[in-house]
Amino acid sequence: METAVKSSVDVKAHGAQLIDGNQTFHSVTEKISQITEAGTPKMWYVGFGISVLLLLMGFSMIGYLIWEGTGIWGLNNPVGWGWAIVNFVWWVGIGHAGTLISAILFLFRQRWRTSINRFAEAMTIFAVMCAGLFPAIHVGRIWMAYYMFPLPNQMAMWPNFRSPLLWDVFAVSTYFTVSLLFWYVGLVPDLATLRDRAKSMFRKKIMGIFSLGWRGGNRQWQHYELAYLLLAGLATPLVLSVHSIVSTDFATSILPGWHTTIFPPYFVAGAIFSGFAMVMTLGIIARKIFNLEEFITIKHLERMNIIMLLTGMMVGYAYSCEFFIAWYSGNEYETFTFMNRAFGPYAWAYWTMIFCNVVVPQAFWFKKLRTNIPFMFVATILINIGMWFERFVIVATSLSRDFLPSSWDYYSPTVFDVGIYVGSFGLFFTMFFLFIRFLPFISMTEVKGVLPQADPHNYKH
Amino acid sequence: MSSLKNKEKVQATKYWRSYEQLAETPEFKKLLHREFPEGASEFTDPIGRRKFMSLMGASMALAGLAGCRRPVEKIVPYVKAPEEIIPGVPKYYATTLTLATSAYGVLVESHEGRPTKIEGNELHPSTRGRANALLQAEILNLYDPDRSKFVLNAGARKTWDDFAAFWAGQYEKYTANGGAGLAVLAESFTSPTLSRLKKQFQRTFPKARWVTYESVSDENIYEGVRIATGKALLPKYHFDKASVVLSLDADFLQTESESIHNNKSFADSRRITSEHDSMSRLYVVEPVFSITGSMADHRLSLQARQIGAFTAALALELKKQGLRLDTSGLGGYAQHDFDKKWLAAVAEDLRSAAGKALVVAGRRQPAAVHALVYAINKALGAAGKTVSWYEPVDKTLPDRKATMALIDDMARGAVSTLFILGGNPAYDAPSASRFAAAMRKVENSIHLSSHVNETSSRATWHLPRTHGLEQWGDARATDGTVSVVQPLILPLYGAFSDIEVVNFLSTNTHETAHALVRKTMKKAVPATSTDKGWRKILHDGLAEKTGLSAKAPAVRASAISRALSSQPFAKDKATDKNPELVFATSASVYDGRYANNGWLQELPDPVTKIAWDNAALMNRKTAEALGVANRQIITLARGDKSARFPVWILPGVAENTIVLEVGYGRTSAGRVGDNVGFDVSPLRTSDSWDFTTGVQVIASNESWMIANTQDHNVMEGRPIVREATLEEYRHEPNFAPEMVEYPTVPGPDGKPKLFSLWEDHTYESGNQWGMSIDLNVCTGCNACTIACQSENNIPIVGKEQVHNGREMHWMRMDRYFVSEDEENLDEPQMVHQPMACQHCEMAPCEQVCPVAATVHDKEGLNVMTYNRCIGTRYCSNNCPYKVRRFNFFNYTKETPEVVKMAMNPDVTVRFRGVMEKCTYCLQRINEAKIVAKREGRELKDGDVVTACQQTCPTDAIVFGNINDPDSRVTKLKKQNRDYALLAELNVRPRTTYLAKIRNPNPALVTGEKTEHV
Repeated sequence: METAVKSSVDVKAHGAQLIDGNQTFHSVTEKISQITEAGTPKMWYVGFGISVLLLLMGFSMIGYLIWEGTGIWGLNNPVGWGWAIVNFVWWVGIGHAGTLISAILFLFRQRWRTSINRFAEAMTIFAVMCAGLFPAIHVGRIWMAYYMFPLPNQMAMWPNFRSPLLWDVFAVSTYFTVSLLFWYVGLVPDLATLRDRAKSMFRKKIMGIFSLGWRGGNRQWQHYELAYLLLAGLATPLVLSVHSIVSTDFATSILPGWHTTIFPPYFVAGAIFSGFAMVMTLGIIARKIFNLEEFITIKHLERMNIIMLLTGMMVGYAYSCEFFIAWYSGNEYETFTFMNRAFGPYAWAYWTMIFCNVVVPQAFWFKKLRTNIPFMFVATILINIGMWFERFVIVATSLSRDFLPSSWDYYSPTVFDVGIYVGSFGLFFTMFFLFIRFLPFISMTEVKGVLPQADPHNYKH
Repeated sequence: MSSLKNKEKVQATKYWRSYEQLAETPEFKKLLHREFPEGASEFTDPIGRRKFMSLMGASMALAGLAGCRRPVEKIVPYVKAPEEIIPGVPKYYATTLTLATSAYGVLVESHEGRPTKIEGNELHPSTRGRANALLQAEILNLYDPDRSKFVLNAGARKTWDDFAAFWAGQYEKYTANGGAGLAVLAESFTSPTLSRLKKQFQRTFPKARWVTYESVSDENIYEGVRIATGKALLPKYHFDKASVVLSLDADFLQTESESIHNNKSFADSRRITSEHDSMSRLYVVEPVFSITGSMADHRLSLQARQIGAFTAALALELKKQGLRLDTSGLGGYAQHDFDKKWLAAVAEDLRSAAGKALVVAGRRQPAAVHALVYAINKALGAAGKTVSWYEPVDKTLPDRKATMALIDDMARGAVSTLFILGGNPAYDAPSASRFAAAMRKVENSIHLSSHVNETSSRATWHLPRTHGLEQWGDARATDGTVSVVQPLILPLYGAFSDIEVVNFLSTNTHETAHALVRKTMKKAVPATSTDKGWRKILHDGLAEKTGLSAKAPAVRASAISRALSSQPFAKDKATDKNPELVFATSASVYDGRYANNGWLQELPDPVTKIAWDNAALMNRKTAEALGVANRQIITLARGDKSARFPVWILPGVAENTIVLEVGYGRTSAGRVGDNVGFDVSPLRTSDSWDFTTGVQVIASNESWMIANTQDHNVMEGRPIVREATLEEYRHEPNFAPEMVEYPTVPGPDGKPKLFSLWEDHTYESGNQWGMSIDLNVCTGCNACTIACQSENNIPIVGKEQVHNGREMHWMRMDRYFVSEDEENLDEPQMVHQPMACQHCEMAPCEQVCPVAATVHDKEGLNVMTYNRCIGTRYCSNNCPYKVRRFNFFNYTKETPEVVKMAMNPDVTVRFRGVMEKCTYCLQRINEAKIVAKREGRELKDGDVVTACQQTCPTDAIVFGNINDPDSRVTKLKKQNRDYALLAELNVRPRTTYLAKIRNPNPALVTGEKTEHV
């Protein structure tokens, strides 16, 4: 098979082989296809069952929410946004890693991405689905939410194009569409492989439909690769734009703690940070369960740890920059907001965030720790907790104490805030379990492309 | 820059911090740590979450009654439509609502025969077109679904005829024996007709007793005047004529009689237009922090028991300074330990303002204090100038002693038939439980009451009583002005008025109240004998020139000294071992009669900001000494009686004083008022009626959820309520706008305006609405909040929702504590700031709404389109004033059918999931425009009056067209005290504030800091 990428970079130039275990094209196909073809492991049923239960709980709570109103959450007058928006931003953030790994690393010819890009993209899609859930359900009149879309109507009313929430609608839906297309296009050759290996008629039909008549011909490869490149090019600015736009939900407001120009880059860095952490968490579990240590090697994990160290320091820089600007601006409201974050009633959330996002990644300066799988597993979970708290700190502390002290109030979530968040994990993992069971969660095509055999010069000694 | 000094001063000022933060109490710490568990309880009990709302739905039986009900004497069936009625156009009728001995002339808005809003009557001397919170909330009392609907006998449903048959037997018996064993226990009233009928009753039953009883009354005041002069007289104060006022435990701006008149005339003495004006000075000595105390230029917190001695010491000091005052009998109070400098300065100020000075004592203080205050006022030349005393003509004055005697007689079995005319003595009589027990010894007890309350349920007969808006009647104001009570609607539940019932008791025949009132009026106001004269008095709401002449009899010094020697003032202080207990009238539910009124229960107390509760108020030191914390439940035991209360720490309460508000803890008030707060009656006996000691405090380890609407009580050094002394204002007239610095460019009008990056939209043509709120006269009385609630159909959300920070008031009253230095943290000053949508020209809410549901109109209004709103709450997040209110639930879903009659048909009722906020009473703007158009003229200043402005008894709120150079609002905005709150954000609010000015006595400011007792 041809290489997926007409690479000018010699694989060995990176100083190491990307895939371990002396794999051949055949062994790659076998190992990865086999996961979707063999019998379902018992553990899969357990995991899927739990996920579905959580999903059902989350959706029944959403049903109750729609029936009763957003009052079942802990929101109050100064704090009009709570967990729902925190979760939205958090999930969107997680949704960043997939496209970043797929598109940007693809464009930068970071070929080590091949082992992780498929499930990172899948994770992106599922995370964006979870994210998209929250803005939809957090509105007071969900049955009127279509007002957000620029649909022709008898009132001759457009939505308000000045509102960042509207930008969100476009940004997130575009991102989702492009990510989905990108993921699907990447899947086509692998689906064809599965089709060709299929034993049952039904499977053959399904795979046949979704592989869009892929035959692996030269012209098809040419078109495919161009399409993939174009989509990567399209997706790349989106990686930066989505979270920049999400950040404008806050940055364009006049609320101290939200009204700041640092937000777009800071949010993008944070999104990459949390996205990588999630890819790591999932990857470490998946490689263990499906014995894919040869595909997702310690080198992959180490590189991702280095990216997390970098982005973690970027968010750390942003945190300190916010404090500096608050002081430097001389704006008493701004100054108060940041002092209040660190020392006010939500200080516990702030320091949790600092510990998880700034202190924990520093461990990755040490090779021992960044190649230690149990440690990095815990660290990635901590980072995701920290990134959730980052959004919580931004949303809740700023709102709970703004300009007039008379309206200050403390916000605490109710069981429904927590339940729907947990339910979104149910959605995420349900999708993810279905994905790893029925689709090749490592791209066979691309992995083959980075095997030494794929290099035409490989055999020249 | 001249502003700098002030700004530094503001920043240097240490503001009083929330006690929970200061003290790091367990409650506060718990709050920090309960981020996650909260709401777990909600899961198990989804009903409890909105107890009030679910209860509201309990009775829907009244659906059929929501039709059109017009007063019978004026009604014309719609076979021929009445000429004046235009559907959709409200009519206004003048009538009078009475509260004990006070009469308030009101103008009631009626939509197709359905009263919807109560405003003051411009002509009436007690209201002058204004109203207070209680008066306006009467509309909800009218439509209270829990009002009693049937005659009951021993709990069984009967008819009026059954009662008439019963009374026929009684009537025969008592006319034969002259009424021996017959007694009437009535609320006090102020009505010529009732007064006449009472006399008639007493003629029919000469041996019967008529006892008047009120839980909250002016008894001490007129008894004090009776000691001083031999005659019971009621005072009416003219604060507008006073330049120095001393209040001795008198909350004359809120809970005392005639509060509307007091607010209005007090504001008139404080209103200034420039730094060259002068204003009155108010000294307040009080055990409780009241809104009157918040307006004080100098405030001294003093235990209630010490105020007598303080008054005596003041009299002596005045005498010493040369005032002609007989102080015989006061010798024992010369050796006092009050702040001598303070006392001397106050006395000096009062004396030098003689003729323009006024001393006011509160109803809580014993009669002897009032006797002394009468003498002081006389000596200061206040009589006829700053205070007038009037005879209580056609009024019955409550008498606690006679009430106690009646209870004794009842307990002895000496009363065979007791007629209870209104009131709720089984709940609020001295030792209410004793009254309830004594009722069982009475063979026949008949209770005329609007609700089947604690007393009704113990009475053998219960008769439903009409609401003030359903009856014919008459009233006399404090100054004697006669007014008529005309019904706005037929009695909703077939009830009977006091007049009809009292007439029936003494004649055993029916006569309509209308006929009885006309009969009285013919004599009292001869002009009403003609139809034209009668219609005029109905139209005006009062009979002109029927006021009484003020009396000011000479002081009988010997009687005062006799009274003092028989009941001397306490000279010792209450200690933490033996704290003082003070009973206070509730600003929300009064004495408990408004307990079933959801608007008032949800109205935050103007000082504590607690809604739906009362609490044991004490200051921090007292709480520390007693070892109790905020929200902790304590048991107060006195003798063998005890009651439980949650603690609420409030600065400004006198040390070792515990304040309890009466009127809560009702058990038979209705769906709203049952079991709200805690009942004081076990502790409030005849010997501990106003305040007492000998109370034991036992702390429990329980705590109580208290819903308060303002968690944070300090301004954090922010220039929110801007304030200066008159002296500072004279030196720096522009202190208010200059308190905040921001980059400006010269504006089109020459005034500096905030630099803008783009060309601004100009609002140069047409009406441009704006509002000015004068913080200098605003007393924080809450009348505007209820006016707004009534006008704009604002829902009640219940205690739990208020606790969650979801109260819906469009107009809220922010209250901050301000301390000059650390030492005075417990004795701060208090400031109020009415806060509603500021209608910013560059409204931050509008920019962020994704569906353009909140937009600007060409008249500068920030308008809400409820139909378009999807409820993202982004607008609220981006509102720097946090004045937007979100319908988290469908708060009106379970509103009983009858309560819907109170809704203003001109204002949309909002569904859940939409945002709402102040509209500047858009419906009133449009109504005024329609009227102007019909009359073929332009809108003129004063055509549009917002609900809050209309009711504001201090005229602090002025609304109008800021494009009109001659409008009142434009002129107010040109004053140098005018400032826009958060102007530095460049949101350009249309509502601006006039800074607060205090007028401290230079003698007390320049020297050392005052020391508090």
